[in-house]
Amino acid sequence: MLELFDAWLLAPFDYGFMRRAFVAGLALSLAAPPLGVFLMLRGMSLIGDAMAHAILPGVALGFLLAGFSLPMMSLGGVLSGLLVAVMAGSVSQMTGHREDSAMASFFLISLAGGVMLVSLGGSSVDLTHVLFGSILAVNTTALVLITAITSLIVVTLAVIFRALVVECLDPLFLRGQGVRGGLVHGMFLGLVVLNLTAGFQTLGTLMAVGLMMLPATTARFWSKRLEGLIGIAIGIAMLASSGGLLLSYHLSLPSGPAIILLAGVAYLLSALFGRHHSLTERLRRRAAPLGSAESS
Amino acid sequence: MSRLQLEDLQLARGGQTVLEHLDGRFMDGAITALVGANGSGKSTLIASIMGMLRPVAGKVECQVPKERCAWLPQQLALDLTFPMSVEELIMTGTWPSHGALKGYCAAHYRRGREIMARLGISSLAHRPLGELSGGQRQRALIGRTLMQEAELLLLDEPFANVDIETVNVLTDVLRDTARQGATIIVVLHDLEQLSRLADDVLILAGGHGRWASPESLLERYAGQPAKAPRLPFIFPDTLDAGTV
Repeated sequence: MLELFDAWLLAPFDYGFMRRAFVAGLALSLAAPPLGVFLMLRGMSLIGDAMAHAILPGVALGFLLAGFSLPMMSLGGVLSGLLVAVMAGSVSQMTGHREDSAMASFFLISLAGGVMLVSLGGSSVDLTHVLFGSILAVNTTALVLITAITSLIVVTLAVIFRALVVECLDPLFLRGQGVRGGLVHGMFLGLVVLNLTAGFQTLGTLMAVGLMMLPATTARFWSKRLEGLIGIAIGIAMLASSGGLLLSYHLSLPSGPAIILLAGVAYLLSALFGRHHSLTERLRRRAAPLGSAESS
Repeated sequence: MSRLQLEDLQLARGGQTVLEHLDGRFMDGAITALVGANGSGKSTLIASIMGMLRPVAGKVECQVPKERCAWLPQQLALDLTFPMSVEELIMTGTWPSHGALKGYCAAHYRRGREIMARLGISSLAHRPLGELSGGQRQRALIGRTLMQEAELLLLDEPFANVDIETVNVLTDVLRDTARQGATIIVVLHDLEQLSRLADDVLILAGGHGRWASPESLLERYAGQPAKAPRLPFIFPDTLDAGTV
């Protein structure tokens, strides 16, 4: 029994690349899910996807200029992500169109631009790497970068937390208090971009969104409280990233999809068996009798 | 004394003048009822007092600091799907003193509980906002303004779709708040509520405002059938018969 435990859970971490991948996964699991929870609560679950596309041209440009240098690619990603967010925000403000339509237009432009840049400058292998990442190829520089970015995200989120909550709930109240809601919103989107940049090395630009959104949407089936949502989402993300890593090691699967698929399994199971709004919960109690204890 | 004055105020919405030549002062420590038909400019006036609408001419002179102004619009921008409890909502009222960062201490939680007890919503402290009735939600929102120690309250039809008990509780609380010196402006359509609540009345009609005392209004309509105590009646040709 103990031997099996050792062989399955501990032995893989004899390898340096597995240890680095493990730490990178945990760091991302701390930073990404809280952002995902807020995106979900604001009805912006798909914005993460749009943002992931938006960082692509920057990453590609960094790659073209400096070769496979993670800091340069990350910097490019952050810049192009922020640029798209700012441009989408200002276009929607100037034209009065809804922000999602401006965002959709800009992320499609950036996606095409990014793919074009990558194809001009490299082979399709490079494109695959940018799009799908490789958590097993995380070196020490990458790990330092990832942990630094995720720490920055966690600290900044803690600082703007109350403002963000009030802005989500009642923007008018926050405005009455002399705080510009747009500023809080902008900082939050900035954190989303940063997080995706931290995630693209390990999971790829597209799958980095998965670690952000899937744990958040899963947590909705288990808690009705904000702290609960965030805590559960972080837990799920940590389990998925370490579990997915082990699965990919033992079964020779690609690590990024293994992690996200594991989170996806958690989502589907929760949709079936979760405590709130799940299928079984709905079937179990159509109506609670009068006088029964509250279920929240 | 008056910390809120209007000086020859002209307000417009979408290039169309809604109100003009509006003058007067709102009394401190008193409740002013704002009365008028739909479209007479009540919400426009409130928006400009809150500084969200720039006057075309004239000015609103408000000496109450912005963070001590509370506005409860009729159509709330509140996201009721957001997971927040009644107590948490009321605690956000500490923003003027605590801002985004300062932690709440026991004294503030105690004050929050006192406010909830006064509003009769202690048992709902941990209930999510989305599960409240209209009346309970209105009490919780008034609780936030109490926590905020608001000195200027702008309430847009606070008694619409609210049960009678909530009306009574809120009437008492608003009277107390006014007694402690707050300036309160309430949009009302109901003559009976006006008689219980208002110290002063500003009637908006035909793009102009007219100040009146509640007594004169009540006297004028004392003979009206009790079953239809609806405001406003004062300019029957320009005002509809109330829509509460």
